[in-house]
Amino acid sequence: MKVYSCCGHETVVKRHYCPSCGSSEIEEREVPNDGTIYSYTRIHVPPVEFEHIAPYSVVLVQLEGTKAKVTGRMTEEVTIGDRVQFAGIDNGAYLYKK
Amino acid sequence: MTKTYVHGVGMTKFGTHADRTLKNLLLDASRQALEDAGRPKVDAVFVGNFLAGSMSNQEILGAIVANDLGLGYIPTAKVEGACASGGIALRQGILGIMSGEYDTVLVAGVEKMKHARTPDVTQAINAAMDTDSNEKHAGLTFPGFFGVLAHRYFHETGATKEHLAMVALKNRENALQNPLAQFQKPTTLEEIIGARLITEPLGLFDCSPMTDGAAAIVLSRKPSPIHVRSSALVSGPTQMQDALDLLSIPAIGESGRKAYEKAGVGPEDIDVIEIHDCFSMTEIIAIEELGFFPKGEGFKAIEEGHTKASGKKPVNTSGGLLSRGHPIGATGLSQIYQLVHQLKGTAANQVNGARMALAQNLGGTGSYSAVHILERV
Ligand SMILES: [Zn+2]
Repeated sequence: MKVYSCCGHETVVKRHYCPSCGSSEIEEREVPNDGTIYSYTRIHVPPVEFEHIAPYSVVLVQLEGTKAKVTGRMTEEVTIGDRVQFAGIDNGAYLYKK
Repeated sequence: MTKTYVHGVGMTKFGTHADRTLKNLLLDASRQALEDAGRPKVDAVFVGNFLAGSMSNQEILGAIVANDLGLGYIPTAKVEGACASGGIALRQGILGIMSGEYDTVLVAGVEKMKHARTPDVTQAINAAMDTDSNEKHAGLTFPGFFGVLAHRYFHETGATKEHLAMVALKNRENALQNPLAQFQKPTTLEEIIGARLITEPLGLFDCSPMTDGAAAIVLSRKPSPIHVRSSALVSGPTQMQDALDLLSIPAIGESGRKAYEKAGVGPEDIDVIEIHDCFSMTEIIAIEELGFFPKGEGFKAIEEGHTKASGKKPVNTSGGLLSRGHPIGATGLSQIYQLVHQLKGTAANQVNGARMALAQNLGGTGSYSAVHILERV
């Protein structure tokens, strides 16, 4: 997974300019895809495009070796602190499993 | 600097209006506000709305108001900022007066949502996420975001689902006294905690409902007893995974700081508050961000009853989004409707002697926050 950083903020969201210093020289580096559950929800009432897979978990994963977190989807139930593995990309979504 | 005053307010009942159109609701609230203001000459109209295009196939709302109310060939515009559309429209009206361009402005907000299925409305509301992000593709929703936030808040502070339920119960109890509120059936903590889950840990009562309704306000540079002391608006992070601190919604804090600074007052000066409780969790974060209670301790204030109508910082005496209802584009203006009545001494759940009031209106998961401070003069 790529993380972007400048002025101490590390994030998976790529910006054109750094919100702190305005620089366009944003550092890019690769970090492992796996991590631990920072927080989560289990979605019982989904938007229409996800009705067929509900209920599902949307998780905020604390990635390793960075301050950045990434949002993913899991079919399993999880809790804060669970270790999770990256399981691929589906239709633009990052999938995770225990 | 030119000052702005409130001259009139209007609001339809919030709830289900199966037999009324979006336009009918919009014109009803607008007309009430104009009558309340004594039918002034209006120089411009701003309409707050989010879903009329996608759910009612209706745009040109500004022109419809001007035309159908016979306001003449005046400038009008629709303003979109997701759930903050009403608050942003209000700010546009205030800026128009402050600039000297207009003397008197009508600001209205409207939404019609009850005719559609919940998954379709959820889908339409998801337009307020960054569609070009892995986060939206993951199936995150607005109640989903606040579910993720709530689990982390519980983890770090020791708060529980019961604290969320206390927010929902307080706002329901306030709505029971407000004839314009959507929900007027009493409930209990047990019923709230036991309700079906929407996005864990949030249950049905933790989430604002779908609502039909409209609200409107007439502003003018001519003095009245209700002075708009300050207006602030900021944009914030559009993605959950980009937050520096999940338990902070910086748009709320920053808009509050700016509004206090412009008004020359602080949270200690505010007598009555309407906050954007799109979810019970949001109200707890917002009372912290706005400086009414310390960070991580908002839930204790709820537990101690400080935010009840009889408490030291009454929050959402109208019933809030949770029980007054949340017709998206109208919400920011219905907050002002309640606060103007509070300052006039004619509100549901009247706070004795209220002199200074604050409204906070949120869009998206913190993409926008508008704060307005009103005072009785
Ligand atoms: Zn920088």
